[in-house]
This record gives sequence, structure tokens and C-alpha cells, in this order.
Amino acid sequence: MSLHGGIPDVIADDVRHGERLEWWTLFWMAGVVLLMWLTMGASQAMKSAVIEDVLSLVPAVVFLLAVRWERRQPNRRFPFGYRRGNSLAFLIAATALLSVGAFLIYESATTLLRQEHPTVGGVTLFGHTIWLGWLMIGALLYSVVPPIILGRIKQPVAERIKDKVLHTDALMQKADWQTGLAGIAGILGIGLGWWWADSTAALFIAASIVKDAVGALRQATAELADGTPRKLASNAISEDAERLIETLKDRYGDVSVRLRETGRYIAAEVDCPSPDPVPKAEDLMPPEHAWRLASLSFRPEPQDPPA
Amino acid sequence: MLRLLPFLILPLALAACDTMPRDAAGTTDRIEASGRMRVAVMPDTPDAAPALALLADYARVHGARIAKVETHGEHALRGLEDGRIDAVVGHFAKASPWKTDIALSKAVGRAEPSDGRHPVLRIARRNGENALVLATDRLVAGSAQ
Repeated sequence: MSLHGGIPDVIADDVRHGERLEWWTLFWMAGVVLLMWLTMGASQAMKSAVIEDVLSLVPAVVFLLAVRWERRQPNRRFPFGYRRGNSLAFLIAATALLSVGAFLIYESATTLLRQEHPTVGGVTLFGHTIWLGWLMIGALLYSVVPPIILGRIKQPVAERIKDKVLHTDALMQKADWQTGLAGIAGILGIGLGWWWADSTAALFIAASIVKDAVGALRQATAELADGTPRKLASNAISEDAERLIETLKDRYGDVSVRLRETGRYIAAEVDCPSPDPVPKAEDLMPPEHAWRLASLSFRPEPQDPPA
Repeated sequence: MLRLLPFLILPLALAACDTMPRDAAGTTDRIEASGRMRVAVMPDTPDAAPALALLADYARVHGARIAKVETHGEHALRGLEDGRIDAVVGHFAKASPWKTDIALSKAVGRAEPSDGRHPVLRIARRNGENALVLATDRLVAGSAQ
């Protein structure tokens, strides 16, 4: 690992674990998309669930790309390396999540306003014609299982490697299984003759997806605009960033300290002459988070005496 | 709330297994109550007999009889959408421009044509009347066998 490229050894195993989880996500979700597409019929909830599942692959793909970039070393064209690729991937993942929520709201609201009555007829299998709704419910039940399991496994890994893309992907998986359950409720509603059940169920879920997505988008924007590092799950300043600011102020007095985040890494700027010796990351942060501090610069004011 | 959803869904599903699906606008109930199933035949459908026979079977099971409604062209399909007609027999392509507005059955009395734009004899039902749609789908599938 160099200053601007590579992945620190401390988190290398967890990052590889995250990559394996994303490959599993692509494998399982591709199967889910295929099954749902085969059984979707004319149900709006099923169509929305298929489109939502296709969009839900975006965070997994951009996570894999971002980690690939992160391993690359800086070069003449990219002297600061490719670590900001993770921030870009986070913005893309958050946008994908928002697209899913917005799409669901549009589809559900227009169906309700137009009072469209969804038709789910029969399908003939092995000489018997059964209600397609049962097959749809089977496909939706299957679609709910992988995201529940994968989402739960991803969350602690995302926390350990401070990866917002992986965290957003876990949110996407939450959106997946919630939409799946809403779809089941919707199909059962259609079966009971409640034409509005399908879209109403989807509308409630969509509102919660949009809320998560707007939060992620605010964080992604803050990161790209060099804001102080944020927590994984909210737009509040992260605890390790708060502690680092305190530690630097304790050491160097009431100086101005600026932190920003490039992907999972923190860069710190302190307005004071360079101390001797220059502290190491382990001196300023707890050992388990020291890898986060990738860069520390001291900026003496013009009137400061040289160190 | 979401944690409770499976517990709400499961009993609902089990209780409803036998009676699902139902019609959103109660067409089957109305046919049973009135003893009439209102059917329109699109113009230029000389081979409508097999489809009408299937609908007559359906009506008989529900203690009703076919009542033909004289109308033509798009008026029949509008009537179907508005619930003034229960079924329309005619030639429709699988990719018919009406396919999202009405529920088309599979081809009656023949295999589904490979060209989705080729019109063949079908039964059109009102969207959302899923009990009627499933019952007639079963009759069409049964006649194909």
C-alpha cells in the first residue's frame, strides 16, 4: 500500500469478504430477476419489483469497480490515485436507490390515480391451470430470502471497512425484501378483489426507500464536496473524525483543523507549523481505525516561524 | 409494522386459498345474482361458436345464461371496460393495442400463433375480474387439450 493507492492490510480480508458478498449478490439477484420476469404477468407490483431488482444490482457493481480502482497505484495522470472512485461509486449507488424509490412512487401513484384494475389470470402447467398469483407469490418469497441474508451480513462488514457503498447496498437489499413483501401483500390483495392493494403497498415501501436514498445522497454529496467525514448511516459527523479533531487540538492548541474523506480514508489539514516529530496515524487514532488516516498535512501561516 | 407483515399475510393467504382470486368489481357475483352473462360478439367473427360455447359452460356453472348484447367495434370494448358487458368474443392479436385495457384469453380452438400481431379468436374480459378471468382461462386451456 502507498499513500494514495492500495488497501491497508488491516482491512484487506474484510474488503475481500465484501467483494465475495457482492459477487454472491449479483449471482442471487440475477436469478431472482429471471424468475420474477418469467412470472410477472400483468401485475404492476411484479413489474416494479423486477425493475427495482435490476436497479438494485447497481451498488454491487459499483462497489466491485471502486475496490478494483482503489487497489491501483497513483500514476502521472492520476497522481492522487483512484481512491475517490469509492466516493463516486457512493454517489452512483445512492442515485440508484433514489431512482428505485422515485420509480416505485410514480408507478404506484399513477396506477392509483388511473384506478387501473390489475388482471392476474391463469397459467397452465403440466395440464393444470392454476392462478398465476400463486406462482408470483412463490417467486416473490424466493426473491425476499437472498436480500435479507446478504443485507444482514453486509452491514457489519461495511461498518468495519467504513464503506458507504457497501452500506448503501445493504440499504438496497432492505429495499429489495421490503418491496418483495409489499408485492406479496399486493398480489394477495388482487386475489381478494382489492385492486388498490397492489399499488398502496408499493407506495408505502417506496416512501421509506426514498427517505433512505435522500440521506445517502446527502452524505455522498458532502463527501464529494470535501465535507467533514460522515457516519455510515447518517449525515452526522463520524465519531472517529470528531475524536481526531479533538486529539489534534489537544496536541497543537486552538488551531484550525480540517478533515475530509476520500472514499474510506481521512485526510487532515492542521494550520500550524510542522511538529517534530510528526505524529503517526497510530498516535492520533485508536489502533483499529488508524488505517483511516491516510494523509496529515501541517500548513504554517506565513508569519509562523519555521519548525 | 413491517415485522408484522408476514404474520398478517400468512393467515390471510391460508384463509383465502379456496376463494381466491375474486373479482375487483364483482362480475361473477352479479352474473349469479342476475342469471345473465352479457356477451358481445365483435363484427366479422364467423367462428365465434367455440368461444360462445365455453362462455355458455361458464354461465351454466353459475346458474346463468348468455345474454347477447348487440353492439359493434370499440363500443363493445368500451362497454367491457365500463362493466356494461361481461365478455367480448372476437379476433384479437396477442400484441393488440387494447391488450392493457382488457384481459385477453389465449387463442380459442387453435394454438397460439407465432406472430403476436396475427389476430385469432379470443375472449376479452374486464380487467381486474380475476375470478372470471381464471375460470375462463381454465375453460380455454381445457378445450385446447
